[in-house]
Amino acid sequence: MTRRFLLVFPALIAAVIALNAQPPRPGNSLAPKNRSQANATNPSRFTDAPSDEQAAFFERKIRPVLVAECYGCHSANAKKVKGGLLLDTRAGVRTGGDSGAVIVPGDPDKSPLIRAIRHTDKDLMMPPKKTLSDRVIADFVSWVKAGAPDPRGEGKAIVRGESDVEKGRLFWSFQQPKRSAPPAVKDARWAKTDIDRFLLADMESHGLKPVVDADKRTLIRRVYLDLTGLPPTGEEVEAFVFDSSPAAFGKAVDGLLASPQFGERWGRHWLDVARYAESSGKTVNFNYPNAWRYRDYVIAAFNADKPYDQFIKEQLAGDRMPAKSDKQKAEHIVATGFLAIGPKALNERMRPQFEMDVADEQIDVTTQAFLGLTAACARCHDHKFDPIPQKDYYALAGIFRSSETCYGTVRFVQANHPSPLITLPANSAPTAHDKLTDRERKQIEETIASLEKQQRESTDRVRNIFYVSQISINRSKLNSYEADGTPKLQAMGMRDKPAAPVGGRGFGPGRGRPFGPGRGPLGMGGLRGAGPFAGQRTIADSPVYTRGEIDHPGPTVPRGVLQVVSLSKPTIKRTSSGRLELAEWIASKNNPLTARVMVNRIWLHLFGRGIVPTPDNFGAAGLPPTNPQLLDYLALSFMDNGWSVKKLIRQIVLSHTYRLGSKGDAGNQEIDPDDEYVWRMTPRRLDAEVLRDSMLAVSGRLNSSAPVGSPVARAGEGPSSRPRLGSMIGTNPNDTHRSIYLPVVRDNLPESLALFDVADASMVVAQRAATTVPAQSLFMMNNPFVIQLAGSAADKLMKTTGTETERIRQAYLNFFGRPPTDQELTTAQKFLKEYRATPSRPAAGRRGGPPAGRGGFGRGSAQRSERNTWTAFCQALFASAEFLYRN
Amino acid sequence: MIPLSRRTLLQTTGCGFGYLAFSALAAEAAAKDAAKAGPLAPKPPHFPAKAKRVIFLCMEGGPSHVDTFDYKPKLSADNDKSYGKGRLAGAKLFGSPFKFSQTGHSGHWISELFPQLAKQSDELCVLHGMQTDLPNHPQAFLQLHCGIFQFPRPSMGAWVLYGLGTENENLPGFVSISPPAKNGGPANYGSSFLPAIYQGTRIGGNGRFGSNAQVSNLQNPAQSTAAQRKQLDFVQRLNREKLARDGANPGVEGLIESYELAFRMQAEFPKVTDISKESKATLDAYGIGTAETENFGRQCLLARKLVEAGVRFVEVTHGGWDQHRNLRADLTRNCTAVDKPVAGLLADLKSRGMLNDTLVIWGGEFGRTPTAQFGDGRDHNAKGFTTWMAGGGSKAGLSYGRTDDYGFDAVEGKVHVHDWHATILHLLGLDHEKLTFKHAGRDMRLTDTKGKVIKDIVT
Repeated sequence: MTRRFLLVFPALIAAVIALNAQPPRPGNSLAPKNRSQANATNPSRFTDAPSDEQAAFFERKIRPVLVAECYGCHSANAKKVKGGLLLDTRAGVRTGGDSGAVIVPGDPDKSPLIRAIRHTDKDLMMPPKKTLSDRVIADFVSWVKAGAPDPRGEGKAIVRGESDVEKGRLFWSFQQPKRSAPPAVKDARWAKTDIDRFLLADMESHGLKPVVDADKRTLIRRVYLDLTGLPPTGEEVEAFVFDSSPAAFGKAVDGLLASPQFGERWGRHWLDVARYAESSGKTVNFNYPNAWRYRDYVIAAFNADKPYDQFIKEQLAGDRMPAKSDKQKAEHIVATGFLAIGPKALNERMRPQFEMDVADEQIDVTTQAFLGLTAACARCHDHKFDPIPQKDYYALAGIFRSSETCYGTVRFVQANHPSPLITLPANSAPTAHDKLTDRERKQIEETIASLEKQQRESTDRVRNIFYVSQISINRSKLNSYEADGTPKLQAMGMRDKPAAPVGGRGFGPGRGRPFGPGRGPLGMGGLRGAGPFAGQRTIADSPVYTRGEIDHPGPTVPRGVLQVVSLSKPTIKRTSSGRLELAEWIASKNNPLTARVMVNRIWLHLFGRGIVPTPDNFGAAGLPPTNPQLLDYLALSFMDNGWSVKKLIRQIVLSHTYRLGSKGDAGNQEIDPDDEYVWRMTPRRLDAEVLRDSMLAVSGRLNSSAPVGSPVARAGEGPSSRPRLGSMIGTNPNDTHRSIYLPVVRDNLPESLALFDVADASMVVAQRAATTVPAQSLFMMNNPFVIQLAGSAADKLMKTTGTETERIRQAYLNFFGRPPTDQELTTAQKFLKEYRATPSRPAAGRRGGPPAGRGGFGRGSAQRSERNTWTAFCQALFASAEFLYRN
Repeated sequence: MIPLSRRTLLQTTGCGFGYLAFSALAAEAAAKDAAKAGPLAPKPPHFPAKAKRVIFLCMEGGPSHVDTFDYKPKLSADNDKSYGKGRLAGAKLFGSPFKFSQTGHSGHWISELFPQLAKQSDELCVLHGMQTDLPNHPQAFLQLHCGIFQFPRPSMGAWVLYGLGTENENLPGFVSISPPAKNGGPANYGSSFLPAIYQGTRIGGNGRFGSNAQVSNLQNPAQSTAAQRKQLDFVQRLNREKLARDGANPGVEGLIESYELAFRMQAEFPKVTDISKESKATLDAYGIGTAETENFGRQCLLARKLVEAGVRFVEVTHGGWDQHRNLRADLTRNCTAVDKPVAGLLADLKSRGMLNDTLVIWGGEFGRTPTAQFGDGRDHNAKGFTTWMAGGGSKAGLSYGRTDDYGFDAVEGKVHVHDWHATILHLLGLDHEKLTFKHAGRDMRLTDTKGKVIKDIVT
């Protein structure tokens, strides 16, 4: 061995001896030849039982470097092991290479390994073509000083793929957020808060200068729209403008954070991420009549400022959390609807495939929403960009496959997988339905009887399917009430499957029905026999499926989490699916991603661009943060403040940066056209919901109460868009509730929202697109609802007694939150005058106008004509860029 | 070009689009004149073009090349044998369940899934050596449209419109019919850093397309055109004032242009999308009236009518080509849905004398593995797949490039998506290295820093 080592590094020993301050002791020239010798001398001995801290140090600082820099030549997987030295096991590190040990425990200067990485000796420089950073070298020095504590097991060779994971931990987002002092800035007076200091330092180093602040009117409209999704009324603007106390803005912010509209705005942001919808989507689209409960849960959670870590845990495993009351228990169950509301291919014929697809979707939403990772990519093979081996995917899959997803739906043509729902404790939650009267019950029963008769007598296969489907829907309707007609309190959500008997095989194809009682079996051979059911019945680990193919199960992997994200691994008991453990692992301060991902989402909604510009991808295919220190600062203060979303928002909007104006600046623009460094507040178009809600608010038509239930709840179970076979969910154009309460049927979203880039409800949407297309212009110009609201706004205005000038002034205040300039006043007056003189009749042959009366440009009397003119004026203000944009 | 140039133009020359269109005196006529001088006005190409317009038939999901246009007898011969390479280790070769035959004078091998298209095989220039960077939908779909996927970039249609303008100022110059919401969604017809007016206008979505193919809200229910023009002049005046206040707001610039286009579209669009005057023969040729082909047939007919009316770039998406399983049934269904409409489109363009200068492109974001997945399916394959072109200066009847004996990797005549983009631009008379836009300190282009024109396929 010695000979070989000498052959590889002929000058090593000599050099080390020469440089050694102390003369070598006999028989122990530069390093202990064997472990007993090393351990014999205290303190120069290897640390055998590393403390948790030491283990963590090794995993964070040492192992990743070994993997990235040394394993290439010094591991079992190396193409050619050099110098007989293996660094991929504890034994290898301690034994050393062909010519002896490489570490003298406690004495870095004497350790060849340290000498090698210091590159001070030109004959022994490792890694050969690269100098490690001083920081890394210092880490190794302290490690050796501490006796090279190494938590790796004895003699275990690394498994394939692990090296990628180890290396992967070096990636910025898998490192713990670091606390750093706010940097010094030149313009210290400008920077009021730490957030400002982080940003300004960056601006200054790039030669950028922040633009002047927004005026008070712009600022108050901005913060209203950002925090509540509604514009301030004219009076609210005036109140703020004339409140000259320094606390005025903080007071306004606190008021907005405390308003119920806050949850309706920020809840909607979360619903984008949670791909919230009220139907199953995909090829056959079936209603989820109980999904609204999850929507209301999210709104309430943001309003109550539920700590984000708790919010995470409830959504993933609320059913497993202790509850103080029935109400809280119900809340916890409803929260797990997060996992149940995903899109599902109900027409899939193979039960195991269906279950795997459901688990896959749950892995996708969980890892994207909370961790900003796309772990679902590792279903068929190791992740192509991120260090997520396929077995990690199946460790997660085991967790979700050990849980039962309860989402309802009925058995129907092409809908093969109805599931139970979860019954909530009595009186613990509101219901969307009135009591079923005896008469109504009788009516339904008669309908069923009549359909059954028709079905028995019919020989037409197609008609038969129709009958059977109708029977199915009617039965499900009956089934949603107790015997006394009280509506059942049901929710979508999750629960653990039962534990497998000890010693029994948990996983494996069961026979017969899918797990859980199928709802409303039809008694029709043709429908029931839609596919073989062989779902997983109990808690069990999942096999790794070769190439993701369900009929190619490989070795089973224990239920667990993503190795690369965190070193702490939860212990999952035999009797637990692991959801709660997963939830706790995600909602932990030790998880380097969780807080970062959330603060980035919040930043994005306030500034229009994330600090990490790819908010849904914190992996290698995403972009790195533009200001890493700021991101970490925010993440840490978010956790320090008990994961309070409201506190974080408050902290951000009270920064100087948030008050920046929107004016362009040619110099800055040249350097940073995308405003990456936030030298101004980039103007942006209102979100779809905010636009619609703002029009409703300004026209005085907004119904600001929160409805119980939703149109989908009222429609009940069944296909969402096939009126002959079931229910048809339409959007009532006269529904004046806030947009978050409009029905969300996948692939059939309301036009007023779809045109303005609302989130697609089948995907995790971190950031919406912002298009500007003629279809939007046409909507503002011609849509009957817009015209109707303009009419209402005109009515409101015309009630303002006074001159035309005063009306214009009032309109500007209502729509834009500011009075018009003299020039604007003249322009408006000129428009009104000219418009009155223009024939208002539409070209012959146009159809589809709103009925005369409440909305529209009614025609007829002189009074009407004046209304007509003011309606046109109000519609013009709606359509204007100032209304459509938030500066 | 610096980012503010158009705004500066509006402010300084006093004869820009904005000034003319929105002065209080300007009505429709002035708006029309303005549009001619505006960002959508026709522009000369860099050199004489073979193609004047594009119809891109986009097959979202990655259609299997080895079951359609890439005939692999050895794959069939070795059906069910294990294939032991890379991540496919242990997978079994899956010979196409579909029969191939040679067609026309060109001798293109086309599978039985495209019986109608096979009759027109002599029009096709088939590219067998296609390659893209990654076998993942979102990335590959974005790359197919925008060149790269790492950063937001304008889509090919936006670049073409930016380079050439459009022939009909009353219609959007770039239309995307039934684009998917996933795989990048609107980014695939977006303008990114190019001015918003170059963005594609979407009709329908997610592969769905109502029988009444219209953009909604095309008619004002309550006021005359003259009154609406008055109202719009007022709106635009407010918008220009806002733009002046903000200093730089590309969104508002786009909005101003969008309102003008919308106003003009009201008259023009219903005319173009009205198919009630089409002959029964035409409808039949596109498969309209038959359930399986109705949807895509209508989309193809609309595409023809749009390009005929002067639209520069029309993309038509057919989704659902991701056959990981149920390949036999689902691929058959897909091919049936598009075969007749596509054949009908080619024949229609030809009979109208338009195929010469209309470039028709067919293809998806990648191909599929010759090995089986889930028994009756195939996984993604980025290293070798097939697309084809017809008309617009592509060499009719040419078969270009080759994959290996099984269809895994392109081995000859490789055409990376960058090269494909460069070639498409070339056919339109645009030099892909000269069609640039300054952004973030760089001259950005569709082909990023890559791309070479495949001259061999150009007439």
